[in-house]
Amino acid sequence: MGVREKVKSNIQRNLDRKYFKRLLGIIAKKPILYAYGSTFSSISSKYLNIYSIKHIRDTYNGEKPVGFGSLFLPFELFHATGISPFLPEIIAGFTAGLGIADKTLKKASSNWYSQDLCTFHRSASGAVEMDLFPEPSFIICTNLACDAAQKSFYHYAHNYGIEKNYCLLDVPYENNPRSVKYLAGQLKRLAEKITASAGKKIDMESFADTIKLSNEFREWALKINNIRKKLLDYPPDFSGLDFILPFHGLMGTEGAVELYKNVYQELNALLAKQEENTDAGRRQPKRMLWMHLKPYYKNEIFETINDGNCQIVFEEINNIYWPRLDPEKPFESLALKMLSHPLTGKASDRTAALGRMADDYNIDGAILFTHWGCRQSNGSARIIKDYFKKRGIPVLVLDGDCVDKSNSAAGQIKTRLQGYIEILNSI
Amino acid sequence: MYTCGIDIGSVSTEVVLLESSNGSDAAKIFSYIISPTGANSKIAAEKTLEKACLQSGLGRDRIDAIVATGYGRINVPFADKNITEISCHARGAVSSFAGIKTVIDIGGQDSKVIKLEDGNPIDFLMNDKCAAGTGRFLEVMARALEIDLEHFTDIFLNTEGHVDISSTCTVFAESEIVSLIGQGVDKNKIIRGLIYSIVSKITSMVERIGLEEPVCMTGGVAKNLGVVKALEESLNIKINIPEEPQITGALGAAHLALDL
Repeated sequence: MGVREKVKSNIQRNLDRKYFKRLLGIIAKKPILYAYGSTFSSISSKYLNIYSIKHIRDTYNGEKPVGFGSLFLPFELFHATGISPFLPEIIAGFTAGLGIADKTLKKASSNWYSQDLCTFHRSASGAVEMDLFPEPSFIICTNLACDAAQKSFYHYAHNYGIEKNYCLLDVPYENNPRSVKYLAGQLKRLAEKITASAGKKIDMESFADTIKLSNEFREWALKINNIRKKLLDYPPDFSGLDFILPFHGLMGTEGAVELYKNVYQELNALLAKQEENTDAGRRQPKRMLWMHLKPYYKNEIFETINDGNCQIVFEEINNIYWPRLDPEKPFESLALKMLSHPLTGKASDRTAALGRMADDYNIDGAILFTHWGCRQSNGSARIIKDYFKKRGIPVLVLDGDCVDKSNSAAGQIKTRLQGYIEILNSI
Repeated sequence: MYTCGIDIGSVSTEVVLLESSNGSDAAKIFSYIISPTGANSKIAAEKTLEKACLQSGLGRDRIDAIVATGYGRINVPFADKNITEISCHARGAVSSFAGIKTVIDIGGQDSKVIKLEDGNPIDFLMNDKCAAGTGRFLEVMARALEIDLEHFTDIFLNTEGHVDISSTCTVFAESEIVSLIGQGVDKNKIIRGLIYSIVSKITSMVERIGLEEPVCMTGGVAKNLGVVKALEESLNIKINIPEEPQITGALGAAHLALDL
């Protein structure tokens, strides 16, 4: 059994917050952490794991207050106000990868969480019920895109007895100066509330520094995305869908900048190699765009895609949709960032963003993974399919579940994928 | 040359041996056989091919290429290639009726609608998560009604009116019809209701993908003319049925084997 399997097996056998804290304390020590990171074959995966583990360790070690945050928040606000962000939805994805989601989902089920609630929220709710997460001081969420977050996050606040520290950021439907002002006001009040709890005032210098790091991250991410417009030879364990934690939770930190710099360097070197070894006879793979998320438990989806001579060249979740932030106007900038998200407002904003990705990455096909219970994404399935159809790009709407493997039949998914790949390769 | 298509479904396995001297257009069915899949799809594939060879007198060594399809397609070690039932049903339907634009396949455990352009599949929808809208649904209901499935066509064509079956789930629908029988409802009207229940689901799938004629129906359920007639009425179209609709997937696989 390899190191990673051993860690996984230990976690499965010790579902206990204190154990997680102890384990993370050991793994996140520098020599061990880097040795652990080296078990991954690519530099990108190595640093992704190193920075993710360090970040999660920081939320468990009790050195800083912890804030639970829903996915679409600007986490720069957490970093600038000195709270450590913990993202229950992302960690729910990890419960699938660690093979413990069956237990967290079962716990949620026996605590009256509806079976048609998205399993990211259901698994996270089960973990809260099982007291597996670090204890939060704040529970912060937004109504941007995801409806389930506002409700389940409130329940977390209730469970931890901190309803007074439950904060909901209300993101208006339209992106205009009035909306920016309204949202910026909420962000400022939230920052004041967090800092006041520590007996402090907002530190604008800290905000400016965080915003600068966020901009730096954005630059590296843009550089990576530019490389990906041409890159076909990825490291074997690279998946753009794995970067959801740093892309959201670590934005505004030095760690995120360092991670993305490393990813850039690796992919850039691979692109240089690819361009050196131009093989005229090489069969060009079909270029695919992946929409929404992926299953985080072991599955054959990406192997099937690669076996069918197709390549995921870009993922919707890695789109840089917001303008450069102004360090002098952090609240307005972060408000604009939230309002620029393609999932804010009309479904046509999303299709327009997807259309730009289709152009930029020259895609032949697109897969929309319709995660069970995710209304914000699945509700647009028809619109997305029709939009791409007009552009002559076939779309596979692939029903499944990102967290609950028992709600996703591997054989059926494979048949749909292979059928779609056969169609794509015949065009 | 001879090619072979094997379609390993959840209920039955079909083997088609195709003879061709000049490409796919001139190919003819040399022999075919349908047998139950049973618990082991690998053994089913092996034995059904053996039977087909024995029946036709064609030595196995004379088969130039084999394509496997169906849910058990990956369990056929002697196949040269496995291709999904989507491509195979489309190809099989086109070989029966040139110019087909929509294929409706209702098999034992799944149903699918495939849209074609110039003979090639361009989109599809599958229902394989639940037995509703599949052959298995009718089988379970026939057992509950204690009426042989073969009689469903005559009953549908010679009965007027029907009772609505409100349950989507096969298990609940079975309970519902047991309850209807208990209430003394005419079994023939229940059978018509069951057929309309399947047809309603398939109609919705066809409409989702966008109906385009001509339409071909494949799979074992296409032998049930009651279902075909009800579907024709529901979609207001004429449906083409191959001579042996159950072998369409295997036939398509045998045709695709000619390209290997």
